Amino acid sequence: MTDEPLIYTSRGNLPIASLQYAVRWEDAADYLKLVETYTLDGEVVRESAHVYTKRGLLAEPVAESF
Amino acid sequence: MKQALARLCEPLYLALTRYLSASGLMLFANTQGVSGVAKQAALSAIVDGKTLKAALYLASATTGPTNTAYTATGEVSGTNYTAGGVSVTNGNTAGLTSTTAYWTPSATITYTNVTLSTAFDCVMIYSTTDTNRNIGTFTFGSQTVTAGNFSLTMPTNDATTGLVRFA
Repeated sequence: MTDEPLIYTSRGNLPIASLQYAVRWEDAADYLKLVETYTLDGEVVRESAHVYTKRGLLAEPVAESF
Repeated sequence: MKQALARLCEPLYLALTRYLSASGLMLFANTQGVSGVAKQAALSAIVDGKTLKAALYLASATTGPTNTAYTATGEVSGTNYTAGGVSVTNGNTAGLTSTTAYWTPSATITYTNVTLSTAFDCVMIYSTTDTNRNIGTFTFGSQTVTAGNFSLTMPTNDATTGLVRFA
């Protein structure tokens, strides 16, 4: 018996081979995002997103002069 | 003898420094500004050793730096997402390079096997140690997740890219 790899989806565990896999990148000034999508007959059954923050927030205190 | 020599050299010293200053070869100007160690102390008081959490907010919400504390208003909801969000690994303390203080969570923030069907685009990092004080809100573009993972990988923890910086 051969074990078929399954993946957790919104429709339960499905054979990964039965799904269409796509990735999308979003490159913005402050972050880089990778979105992974698995679809079954056009329906999105699993979607993950991974954000890499390129840089955070900068706060500059104001010092008054005399 | 020493004093006489000093008196003799003083005009020469003054003339030389005036010349170097005027010619731009040597700068003598004082500068004003909040000190680096003061900024580090301020940031340290906010983050060092604190218990932090990260909550996600809908793209339609108005959460931002004017929020003083964590709020459930506009927070996402969905399968495997608990109100208030997830814990933030806080192994770093406020650092200082020159006059810029900085701090970054020490690990990726991950929401596992969640379904968040309504678009969200913002995370609030807040301190449960300090009555849920809002430390910062960060946006990352509109997103949904279906039976999947959402992860926020942190930038390099330094004075140029750290997640929170006082410069």
